[in-house]
Amino acid sequence: MEHTQNKSSAFSQGVVIFVYLAVLTALEFAIAVAFDAVPLLVVVAIAKAALVAYYYMHIYKLNQEDADLDHHSYSYKTNTNRFGLWLFLLSDTFVFAGLMVMRLNLLGLSRPGQLNQYLGLGVTAVLLVSSFFMNRGEIAMSFGDTKKFMNNTLITFILGLGFLIGVVFVEWRLAAAEGLTAGFGSPATGPTGAVFYMMTGMHAFHVLTGLIFLGIVWNNARKGVYTAEKHWGVEASTVYWHFVDLVWIFFYPALYLIGTAVK
Amino acid sequence: MKNIKPFWRGILFLVVFGAVGYGLGLGLDFLMVKSLRFSGPVPSVFALLFAFTAFFLGVFGFRGITRGLVWQVLGTLVGGLLVAGIRAIMGLPAFGDFFFTEPSWVFGALTGAISFLFGVGVLDDWMKWTRGIDTPDEHEEHYHGWEKYFAVSLDHKVIGVQYTVTALLLISIGGLFALIFRSELAESQLQFLTTNLNLFSQNGPQLYNSLMSLHGMIMIVSILLGTAGFINYVVPLLLGAQDMAFPRLNAFSYWVSVPAAVLLLMSLFLGGFDTGWTGYPPLSARAPVGMQMFFLGVFVAGWSSILGSLNVLVTVVRMRAKGMTAWRLPILVWAAVATGLIALTATQLIGLSFQLVMFQRLFGMGFFDPAKGGNPVLFQHLFWFYSHPAVYVFVLPGLGVISELLPVFVRKPLFGYKWIAMSSLGIALVGFVVWAHHMFTSGMNEYLRIPFMYSTLLVAIPTGVKFFSWVATMWKGKISTPTPMLFVLGGIVVFLMGGLSGPPNAIVSTDLQLHDTYFIVGHFHDTIFGGFVFPFFAAIYYWFPKATGRRMNETLGKIHFWLMTPAFFVMTFGMMYVGLLGMRRRIVDYDPALHLDATHFVVTIAAFLIALSVLIFFFNFFNSIKNGEKAEGNVWNSRSPEWQVPSPMPVHNYEKPLEVVGEPYGYGSGDDGYIKFVEPAVNAHK
Amino acid sequence: MYHFVIVGVLVILMTILTYMGIDAVGLARHMNPVSASAQAVFVDQMWHWEIWVISFLFSLIVVPLVYSLIFFRQKKGEMKDGEHVEGNTQLEIAWTIMPLIIVVIFAYFGAYTLGEERRVDPNAMVINVKAQQFTWTFEYPQYGFFSSELHLPVDQQVVLKMESADVIHSFWVPEFRLKQDVVPGRTTEYRITPDLEGSYKVRCAELCGTSHAYMENPLVVTSQADYDAWVQEQIAIAAASKTPEGQGKVLATSNGCVGCHSADGTKLTGPTWFDLFGSEVPLADGTTTTADEAYLAESIKDPNVKVVEGFPANVMPAFSLTDEEISNIIAYIKTLK
Ligand code: HEA
Ligand code: HEA
Ligand code: HEC
Ligand code: CUA
Ligand SMILES: [Cu+2]
Repeated sequence: MEHTQNKSSAFSQGVVIFVYLAVLTALEFAIAVAFDAVPLLVVVAIAKAALVAYYYMHIYKLNQEDADLDHHSYSYKTNTNRFGLWLFLLSDTFVFAGLMVMRLNLLGLSRPGQLNQYLGLGVTAVLLVSSFFMNRGEIAMSFGDTKKFMNNTLITFILGLGFLIGVVFVEWRLAAAEGLTAGFGSPATGPTGAVFYMMTGMHAFHVLTGLIFLGIVWNNARKGVYTAEKHWGVEASTVYWHFVDLVWIFFYPALYLIGTAVK
Repeated sequence: MKNIKPFWRGILFLVVFGAVGYGLGLGLDFLMVKSLRFSGPVPSVFALLFAFTAFFLGVFGFRGITRGLVWQVLGTLVGGLLVAGIRAIMGLPAFGDFFFTEPSWVFGALTGAISFLFGVGVLDDWMKWTRGIDTPDEHEEHYHGWEKYFAVSLDHKVIGVQYTVTALLLISIGGLFALIFRSELAESQLQFLTTNLNLFSQNGPQLYNSLMSLHGMIMIVSILLGTAGFINYVVPLLLGAQDMAFPRLNAFSYWVSVPAAVLLLMSLFLGGFDTGWTGYPPLSARAPVGMQMFFLGVFVAGWSSILGSLNVLVTVVRMRAKGMTAWRLPILVWAAVATGLIALTATQLIGLSFQLVMFQRLFGMGFFDPAKGGNPVLFQHLFWFYSHPAVYVFVLPGLGVISELLPVFVRKPLFGYKWIAMSSLGIALVGFVVWAHHMFTSGMNEYLRIPFMYSTLLVAIPTGVKFFSWVATMWKGKISTPTPMLFVLGGIVVFLMGGLSGPPNAIVSTDLQLHDTYFIVGHFHDTIFGGFVFPFFAAIYYWFPKATGRRMNETLGKIHFWLMTPAFFVMTFGMMYVGLLGMRRRIVDYDPALHLDATHFVVTIAAFLIALSVLIFFFNFFNSIKNGEKAEGNVWNSRSPEWQVPSPMPVHNYEKPLEVVGEPYGYGSGDDGYIKFVEPAVNAHK
Repeated sequence: MYHFVIVGVLVILMTILTYMGIDAVGLARHMNPVSASAQAVFVDQMWHWEIWVISFLFSLIVVPLVYSLIFFRQKKGEMKDGEHVEGNTQLEIAWTIMPLIIVVIFAYFGAYTLGEERRVDPNAMVINVKAQQFTWTFEYPQYGFFSSELHLPVDQQVVLKMESADVIHSFWVPEFRLKQDVVPGRTTEYRITPDLEGSYKVRCAELCGTSHAYMENPLVVTSQADYDAWVQEQIAIAAASKTPEGQGKVLATSNGCVGCHSADGTKLTGPTWFDLFGSEVPLADGTTTTADEAYLAESIKDPNVKVVEGFPANVMPAFSLTDEEISNIIAYIKTLK
């Protein structure tokens, strides 16, 4: 499937990718319930990540020829900015990779058993759907449709907020009530709690910054700052938002699905 | 007031406001503990912050950096008080031994650092962007002359100088700490850092540990800033670019390092910390509040490093002049790319590892606490995953400077250009898979030590390629030895000694003896001086005329070199010698039975001689800015683009775009040079 | 061409000179101090090879460098460039391969000597080691006594099972040429065969806090006969220490109190216990208190409540001791007059 230039096929491509992602997520959950096969889960996660990186984050655009070689032109600067943004994401990836290493080292093939599986699947779905709308918003903007962009971004924002609330205000409380504590001088539950709160907390922090960016571009769109040709701000926040989703693609199975649950 | 020179006015302010801050701190502390603690931590912190800020107030007035520092102080207080208030509401003690409690200090330090950035004004443009207001590409400079160095500037040349001077300042502070603890080490037994001492609520040995640990980290930060300094100044010029790809980000990267340095220094006054620069838990989980300031300082400095290197990478890829293909890049650019790749990615891991310990202390999360199922060795893996590659961040730019300057003073092409370029990348990449050689004794999996030994030794190969190629470059050249070249040569020999003392550490069986002895201390002072300090001085002497239009004094430069180099050899040979005789690292006192006193005494003398030579350098540096011999042309007869235009470098670098037409180091080939300036075609762009 | 011949000869000369220089300060053939274990032999051998290679490589770079500096200088007033040579691929390959070979051979020997160092003797004797801020405690499990001195019989492999009570320490005896960290939460192992009788010191090699420098305990390597005698003596002492003060002394050793508190008036990290009981103790807040049973018990349970003048708070760790154990320790402190 090639990335397309035509407006309606761009939208429908977004739908197709979303369906793939949804099916893979369901598959993931099913695999975990049925036979706890870690390698399979890794493969599924990588497949999902590849889909997001290619179709939603347009990683191929890094390879784009410069339309204008003048270093001061908007299109040249956009390509420069894009390269910078991806380098930043590369750097950020090392934080999450470090957290993953920590998780594997401290917990091995066990996982916190206090978590609510349905809630986990639920917030994952919410984040996924938000990425879908984000993608629609960006496509709309690239065709100059500010109104549609704003609507879709608003939906994304609300879903993102839902994810944040779901994790920080619901899941954290439920888990704490189940006895999963980070420390705070309470009797130690081993490092499980520490690992769980650290990983979700760091991710939630990124979601929060992503929401702030969405708010900013939404507001700027309202002021009519963006056009079909000039909307780097929109692209940047979109790519960042999908990156946050991409991280969760790995964190979700790492915290909810792989290994055996221990309390 | 008006007719006092700004610098002396700054000093005056420093003294006066320092005293005021001290008094205020004393008073506040008295309110807390109802006793006057003259050498307590709170008066010292206040004195430090006030004096530091007032110095800049005196020099520069209430704008730029001064405003940043004032905001940082206020931000720290507000953040701290906020947490204190919340704690009071929660029924927890609101204030602690160090005026604030630990959570207050941590949060306050964070809000303080952020406030600094707002105060100094480096976020202004970005804040406009968030409101949809565009800012012009051509940034208008508000200050001129020396004043522009004290406020936000987007010009990479100004930022390069800012970095360099900050680095020199930090080297002095770190060096001063070294001189203090070296004096204690001059003889066995405790002389002045005794257990009866009580300064900043630390006794002598504790103070030793704080000074030694801070010496390590402040020096490392100064390296990061120093390399960023010449990379920032030179790389865009070498590329023929107008500026870095992201000028605002560039300014941001510099300015975050200032609050970072303040935080690092604050750690000394808040009880210090006693873990060495490596901050291993569980010890670091028990150390005083100073530990947290150290972690935060490094964390913030890390962002400077990450964002700075991101900028360099993008600049190299996107901002080159026409015709500057990969194999025609100046060699220093290759070094900057290799360095950037490491700093961009690996730095996150030291940040993460320190952050985890911070959280362990604040929230009791047991990552590294065996009592809670944590694993102390995990910290070491995360830490060294950065801190080993980091040592190549220290040296690659310096080795790049050596490769860049050598052909100029040898009047011959760089021998094996491609091999040298690739060896930088090779060192950087192999450097990622060797980290556990710092952990051979740590109790990690025994058998993993063998592959790590092999990978570590592999680094010797690309490094060797550099050395052999340098020697081949010199062979049959027409060598002249002005000061920059002397430092290049000194750097080569010193780094060779440092490098060759690496394999014995890499080989497990001998490392089990050498680990944590002064042999290691000798090893890394050699590598760091050879790979950073010498090339850094070479770079300063070399590009000084470019930046100022004047030359530094040759005679003083040579005195600097001929004083520093022998003293340095004596110092590190002494270190390795005592290390092999059984001297452990990080000890305030050593067993007289080892008979090390004489050597230690000599090492201390040598350290003071190095400091003296650095003082001579400082005199030369500041004196030459005003009184140096004028040098506006191609002083070193170099082919490099920056020397084809007048000095000091024009504000917008190159008036006409340049195009690469030859080899960067085609000395002796009789061609038309490396670059030529193109007349801008009519209506190429508006 | 003759340049190469001269440089070649000079490199060889310089290599020998460098080696002799290092040997002259006594660091070429072996590390220092004396070697006192079977394992050290391999380490010293490895080191000796390393010194040869370092001497050679150092000369290989420095000699042509200095030679060029002397013979290829620009003459006064001369403005000419050197010869235009861009490189030589064969040479580059050569000086990539040569170090590669050296390195591979080296790493092989490194692995080999490491293997020899770790060679296991199934009859090795086990001693348990406890590290804590800032002292070492040695337990001889087959006899059931504790000691703050490590005594080892010569030519007998021992394996030390090491644990830490607080932070990371590192067990190092320079004469043994081996070092092993002691990490809280796990047991690490140190295997050694002493082969030279004498008195040495166990030195902590990992920064572990304020008094890390002083974390040194005596180590004695003796003949089997002397060792047996020492063991009998220790057993006798242990047996005789059924009294409360005897128990207290054992506890003070096994818990590492003696690492910070001397029994003879010397000032260590903590205040001495000599003549402590019944004395007036000046406190950090300016008051004084009498060192009676209650005060001592409190100081042991919660050392930060009353901090002794001139000593830092938060240094003495909290110990989990029963009331009986505490009173035994106090009984022992009472005897120190
Ligand atoms: C500037 C920084 C720098 C550089 C460049 C290096 C370079 C190297 N370092 Fe060093 N190192 C440090 C800074 C640096 N180091 C620091 C700061 C520490 C201590 C950290 C702490 O604990 O606080 C340390 C500690 C350290 C250790 C851990 C010691 C211990 O604590 O037990 C080890 C072990 O392997 C090691 C090895 C090496 C090696 C093999 C190289 C190699 O890269 C060297 C390669 C160069 C050469 C070998 C010379 C030239 C080559 C030739 C002439 C070719 C032929 C050579 C051969 C065939 C051998 N270093
Ligand atoms: C850039 C890196 C760098 C540099 C330049 C130095 C420079 C020096 N170092 Fe450094 N050192 C480290 C990096 C560095 N060090 C590191 C990373 C550690 C490990 C820390 C740890 O174990 O955790 C260490 C540890 C270390 C130790 C071991 C401490 C211990 O284990 O207990 C010793 C001991 O002698 C020492 C000595 C010195 C000396 C004498 C100098 C001298 O060269 C210093 C010379 C002095 C100056 C360069 C300053 C001159 C200027 C002035 C005097 C002017 C002052 C005036 C004003 C303020 C305006 N260092
Ligand atoms: C890490 C070093 C350290 C260790 C180990 C240590 N102490 Fe202490 N101790 C100190 C210091 C320092 C002080 C003085 C500061 C204070 O009062 O808190 C002290 C004070 C005391 C005092 C009060 C002494 C006086 O002069 O008034 C007693 C009693 C004491 N310790 C008992 C013990 C016992 C019993 C143990 C072992 C179970 C022990 N200590 C282990 C460091 C140590
Ligand atoms: Cu124990 Cu150092
Ligand atoms: Cu290393």
